[in-house]
Amino acid sequence: MTVRPSTFALMLLVSAAALACAAPAARAAAAEKSLGVVYADGRQTEDVPLAKLDKESDELFVSAYDLARVFKATKFWNPGNRKLVLRIGNHRYMFTLDTRVVVVDETPVLIRMNVRYRDDGSVMIPLEFIEGVLAPRSIEKIVLDRNRLLLSIGSPEYNVTAIEIVDDKDGTRAELTLTDELLYHIDSDTPGILRLKIYGGRLNPLRFTVPVGKGLLNRVRAEQMDQDAYLFFDVKRGVQRYRVDFEGAGAAAAGAKAPKKLVLFLERGALPEIPGADFAGKKMVEMLDEGARRKIVAPVRTIAIDPGHGGSDIGRMSPSGVKEKDVNLAIALMLRDRLMEELGVSVVMTRTDDVLIPLDERVEKANTAGAQLFISIHCNGWFTSDAEGFEVFFLAPARTEEEAQLGREENASVAYEKQGAPDESGGDIDFILWDMVQNAYLNESSDLAEMVQRELNTSLGIRNRGVKQTGLRVLKGLKMPGVLIETAFLSNPKEEKLLLSTEFRERLVESTIEAVRAFQSRYPGKQ
Amino acid sequence: MKRLIVIALVALAVVLAAVYLVPRLRPTGPAEVQKVSEEMRAVTIFFGNKGADGFVSETREVPATQGFEDQVKLVLAELIKGAHDTDKAAAIPDSTQLVQVFWVEDTQTLVLDFNKAFTANHPGGSTGEYYTIANVIKTVSANFPQVARVQFLVEGNQIESIAGHYAIDKPIDVKKWR
Repeated sequence: MTVRPSTFALMLLVSAAALACAAPAARAAAAEKSLGVVYADGRQTEDVPLAKLDKESDELFVSAYDLARVFKATKFWNPGNRKLVLRIGNHRYMFTLDTRVVVVDETPVLIRMNVRYRDDGSVMIPLEFIEGVLAPRSIEKIVLDRNRLLLSIGSPEYNVTAIEIVDDKDGTRAELTLTDELLYHIDSDTPGILRLKIYGGRLNPLRFTVPVGKGLLNRVRAEQMDQDAYLFFDVKRGVQRYRVDFEGAGAAAAGAKAPKKLVLFLERGALPEIPGADFAGKKMVEMLDEGARRKIVAPVRTIAIDPGHGGSDIGRMSPSGVKEKDVNLAIALMLRDRLMEELGVSVVMTRTDDVLIPLDERVEKANTAGAQLFISIHCNGWFTSDAEGFEVFFLAPARTEEEAQLGREENASVAYEKQGAPDESGGDIDFILWDMVQNAYLNESSDLAEMVQRELNTSLGIRNRGVKQTGLRVLKGLKMPGVLIETAFLSNPKEEKLLLSTEFRERLVESTIEAVRAFQSRYPGKQ
Repeated sequence: MKRLIVIALVALAVVLAAVYLVPRLRPTGPAEVQKVSEEMRAVTIFFGNKGADGFVSETREVPATQGFEDQVKLVLAELIKGAHDTDKAAAIPDSTQLVQVFWVEDTQTLVLDFNKAFTANHPGGSTGEYYTIANVIKTVSANFPQVARVQFLVEGNQIESIAGHYAIDKPIDVKKWR
């Protein structure tokens, strides 16, 4: 008799515990579907949870929280009157809980399902809102694929737009359509694969994947990286020679807005296509056009070497106190001696002591000396100790050829107006021209960068971060091909040790010399 | 006996309170239910990944203030605060502060005036410096499409560069810079 009430309490407790356990399980089951969201603005693709809230309907709901995040909306929630406002783009969308009305700006629009309140505190909006209400009013392109549960927001501006493969008796052509004449690099380091890198290229990888063979091509694959686009051509074994070039490059420059055709040509080689024959390791040879790419470069007789930073500008200081300026100078001096010894070239240094030389002055020194190559030596730095590897840079011009032409015209008119009174200050116009000087050498600079990268890759044994094209100040105004080598990270203790070792420095110097040798053989110049 | 009934009732009350309250107290999701929210804006902040070989973003919510310059300050404050995730690294030097923000509507130029730490505490390196500029520019252009150019200042003055590799003395075109 005395036991009964406590047993009752115990029973209550047990059933309460069971209830508490059951609730999260139910929630987990509700959120099993998700919506893949693909952005054009640089955000990573992500999965957003979806919920099915209605027994009668299959409609999926997304939380207002996620919706606001995905569409970068401004959100206002008032539980008092059960209203939620999202401001997306130029429109204001007001939802009222448990109704089908969405007030767009001042106009009510009906959707099929009610906006719901979920017990975890979320306001849930049916997907129908995205396709029926939001997408038609959006400036950005919004596409919801219901079958694949995929939402894509915005359309990136592609500048590599199409690929076409043509096969005839001479060989196979892969014709790429570009909106601009972008810089490219091709190599065949992997047997059977031609890798085409398009600097600043933006493409839709899905549209450039050609899975079925045609002519001398087995298949084509594309990759979009942060800055550049890559195309990988899997080539039949019989191919010995290839060529890549803009078709009618000179004529195309006249119509700046006309699409450009970048053509990869695979020559139908003398080697027969023997099934099963082993050509592995065989390298394809690039056919070089004697006229265009090589004519402007004189034979390499003088090389300018630029040890980064100096004097009060110490560059990067490692946690243990090693100064970048000192490492740069030591490597640069070693490079100077070996270059003179092994290649018999003369070398001009932008500094040989621990002094601060302004960047323009460094460029001036190299230009005045009439150097044919410019190599800047640096050590890299990062905010944590995680970053590693070497990286080779060449210049991305800040201005396009059209803007430069405008600059030249303005310059000419100013000179005409001020006859007899030459403008010493120059101002912005000189600055534009200064920026443009290196443009004439970008092909050669990118070739040199790729060559340095390839040599360092085989000898340094640290991560290859690749070749990057950026707007580095010290390469602006150079009247010669120029690169900047970030040898390794002083912010990484392992690489700091390497940078201090003679052995690592020697490998660095020898590889750089090998790259210069390769450059000399590709650009022998007019003797 | 009476005492036992009282105990049972108290136990019952506790259990009922637990069943009723616990699901509501547990922070199960978005905070929007807890209070009448002020107007919040979802914004995208760009960081580098920790190995410095790519950009990664996080979404944050900031109060939607009226003034454009204040809004820029709030958004860049999120960048300066750093990433939540240890796989990401904000390429912003220690103790950096955004002192002032000006918006020049005629030329669509956003002027950002940082304190001395922005250059003094920079770890250097072409990669480090590249990501510093890119993190600011990408974050600005993702959230403020009206901005065409960004002018960096340090303590109110134009400076040549942050760490000696990239020129920032002139306004940077957010679409073309690389």
